[in-house]
Amino acid sequence: MSEAANLAHLDEEPYYLPLGDEVEVFQAAYDARLPVLLKGPTGCGKTRFVEHMTWRLFRDGKAKDVAVPLITISCHEDLTATDMVGRFLLQGDETVWSDGPLTRAVRSGAICYLDEIVEARKDTTVLIHSLTDHRRLLPIEKTGELLAAHPDFLLVISYNPGYQSVLKDLKPSTRQRFVSLTFDYPDREREAAIIAHESGVDGAAAERLAVIGEKVRNLREHGFEEGVSTRLLVYTGELIGRGISPRRAAEIAVVHAVSDDATVQAAIADIVDTVLP
Amino acid sequence: MIELAPLEERLALFAEGIAGRYFHIKPGSEFAGRRITLAADRSALTSDTLYLPESLDAPDASAYRVLALQQLCHREFGTYAFSMATALTRIPGLSNDDPPALGSRASDFERFYHQFPYPALASRLFRLCERVRVDALMLGSYPGIRPRLERLQQHQLRRDPPHPAADLAGVLAALECQGRGAAPELVAALDLTGVLEPAAATLAALALRPGDVHDAAATASALYHTITRLLDAQTGLVLPLPLEEELDDPGNWSQREARLEDWRDDLSALDASLSVEMLDGDEAEAADSQGLRDGQVRPEDLDLKKLAGERDTLARRIDMERSAIRDALGTSQPEARSFRYDEWNYLERRYLPRWCRLFEQRLAPDPDQDLAELQAVIRAHRPGVQKRLEQIKPLGYQRVYRLTDGDELDFNALIQARQDRRAGHTPDDRVYSRRDRVQRDVCAAFLVDLSASTDDPIGSVGAVAAEEEDPFLWGHAAAGADGASPAAADTAEPRRIIDVQREAMLVMSAALEQLGDSYGVYGFSGYGRDCVELFVAKEPGERFSRATLAAIAGMKPKRSTRMGPAIRHAVRKLLDSGNAMKVLMIISDGFPQDCDYGPERGEHEYGVQDTARALQEAQDKGVETFCVTVDRSGHDYLKRMCPEARYLVIEEIEDLPEQLSKVYETLTGR
Repeated sequence: MSEAANLAHLDEEPYYLPLGDEVEVFQAAYDARLPVLLKGPTGCGKTRFVEHMTWRLFRDGKAKDVAVPLITISCHEDLTATDMVGRFLLQGDETVWSDGPLTRAVRSGAICYLDEIVEARKDTTVLIHSLTDHRRLLPIEKTGELLAAHPDFLLVISYNPGYQSVLKDLKPSTRQRFVSLTFDYPDREREAAIIAHESGVDGAAAERLAVIGEKVRNLREHGFEEGVSTRLLVYTGELIGRGISPRRAAEIAVVHAVSDDATVQAAIADIVDTVLP
Repeated sequence: MIELAPLEERLALFAEGIAGRYFHIKPGSEFAGRRITLAADRSALTSDTLYLPESLDAPDASAYRVLALQQLCHREFGTYAFSMATALTRIPGLSNDDPPALGSRASDFERFYHQFPYPALASRLFRLCERVRVDALMLGSYPGIRPRLERLQQHQLRRDPPHPAADLAGVLAALECQGRGAAPELVAALDLTGVLEPAAATLAALALRPGDVHDAAATASALYHTITRLLDAQTGLVLPLPLEEELDDPGNWSQREARLEDWRDDLSALDASLSVEMLDGDEAEAADSQGLRDGQVRPEDLDLKKLAGERDTLARRIDMERSAIRDALGTSQPEARSFRYDEWNYLERRYLPRWCRLFEQRLAPDPDQDLAELQAVIRAHRPGVQKRLEQIKPLGYQRVYRLTDGDELDFNALIQARQDRRAGHTPDDRVYSRRDRVQRDVCAAFLVDLSASTDDPIGSVGAVAAEEEDPFLWGHAAAGADGASPAAADTAEPRRIIDVQREAMLVMSAALEQLGDSYGVYGFSGYGRDCVELFVAKEPGERFSRATLAAIAGMKPKRSTRMGPAIRHAVRKLLDSGNAMKVLMIISDGFPQDCDYGPERGEHEYGVQDTARALQEAQDKGVETFCVTVDRSGHDYLKRMCPEARYLVIEEIEDLPEQLSKVYETLTGR
């Protein structure tokens, strides 16, 4: 069973450095139970933001009675409505209904985060329509159940307008059910702070890695529309912190990770070599 | 020696990463301004091009990266932000009066140099100081370049070691060695004049505190005064500098280009105050009209007249300056990207490596085009074209059985599993079924010939080949650029080849959009191997929109038909698309030709052979190719360019859209 759901207990506060008013906006949206759409390139902190906000809403002194406050579903092109809602499983000689991750979130009052929603099949996105308007209902076709959402439930989806093909864009009927928060990579100073915090490298090394990020992102159009993510820069920092030389670490985590084109790789290696001391 | 050509693409990406914008990489020998002398390192940076030496005596290829970064850093660290106004406030001893010979549009650099009795010396010292300053800042921001720079500098110093300095030339040579990395103490030790030692110390101080471009100018001024003590002592000494050539370096023009931005800001400010004055004037006029005697002009009107005069003068000055810069540095192509491609020389049976330079740019939409008219064209052809393509539309879902995971139970598999269990066998756990999407995975590129001859009226198609014996009928190109053929003056405007080609592309685009295939639409033309042009109307990843319609409508007859590089570029795009099936369709009106496509002008075999080779390369890379021509004599050369099943000569040109869809169906409908 390929259930791509990740259940987060969130006992500790996940680190997140706000870049604007996104924390306040998300809080307000949650208070009004408005579904939220997060737009932004890969590895810029969307998932971390949702984790951080879930911790704030469910754990930070306002504990709610939810064992698993965040259910993340990583969408992919084979993800069907069944994968999200549930299915009959074989148990001995019987078929037994098993809730999917979305149904569990709707029942328990967790935040359900559909990561990279446009990757999923179109029938999946239609499924969430009734959950994201005033009805807040999830119809479970196979059992005939019409499930009303728990008052604490919220649906959050993310998508990346950059690299997905136009054939895989969100339909307006889906998009217009969400309030949108747009994310991008942080500026050099804040990205350096994030890299230093997450990977443990010193400020100077983190600043150099942030410069690499900034320069490599200038090449976004060359077969890797995403540029290099903050996540990859953090990985580089982590490798450096574990004794790998900075150039080698950047080669593994940046140069080879963002493109397969030999010339582009050589140019990125040149940038890395030029920027690192 | 290290060659530039194989490194161009990598350096272009490096420069784009560092600077955040694209620069064409070209050898210094292609520098447009013949009057301008490139510096000793034969590198320069204009608004759109980074010039580097064609070959380099260097320890390794990273030397090119050093040269490129030095040029980019001039821009990053504000070399061209130099302003004489700031220099006057920061550097003692300068005067605001320019020598009359200098001209009113001289760059601020030249105005600065002419503050000194020996402007050429001032120029050389300033450029040295600026290089030292920029290198120091470069090493601070890009520390990784240090070992590469030092390696190159040591190599150069070994090749041209500093000599004891007994005169001005020796002093300058020694200081330039210091600029190329020689230690100040080593340079000072060469001093036989008494001025080199303090000069070396002044230069070293700049490297420690680089500051901005005006600090470099101040250091140059200090060095000038130190060194000219030597000149005073050696009266009658002839400067070892050719004055005019030395002064006209690309930096002057780059500064003038940067200054143009300031002038544009001034113009906008003048426009803004002019509109405010006019508004105020309208209000004041009503109030004052009774208070003025006949013939008396209100003071506000005088101000307005003066302001308008200033504005017009500045606007004229900007136009003249822009055209002077274009003349000196060449036409800027900041929106284009350039690529190099090999060419097949059939006479020598070998490839000419990186022989052609192709510029890729967006097609400018035609603002006068009536889009409703274009949509009507699409509608008119819809029954024939779209219906045909619909026949190959296999989009949909298909249920796949016996899977370990799926949205439904597969009851046949389930019963089988149950039987197995009962019989004591291990049951197969693949008891689910799933609906899978069946999708066409096709990317098509349409390459439309935009040569001058496509401007010809349709009736003369049969004569196209004959006319192309002299392919450079510039009258065609000029008429095409204006959007009107010479015959357009007649009341009944004859339809031209380009009109039908454009319509065919519109109809195909609309049909393919329905089909869901990924496709790109490109036009190609150019003149000479250094200027093959590929115009993008639509890229495969883009949605078909009004902008696409307008871009396709913007296809105009241009210049020649160098097909080889255009095909190679389209193939590169198709390979980048990552689609399983890749199709290239070339729509032309005649044989491949260009001014230097072969050893002799007018000899077509070279172009035919190169195109044939490019098509073969495409086939070898898994790209299906097909040539469609509206030239009735096309059989003659097409049969030498591609296999018989890979081309089509269209007898009735108006059939082009239908014929294209037929070909497309045959190619991709399998």
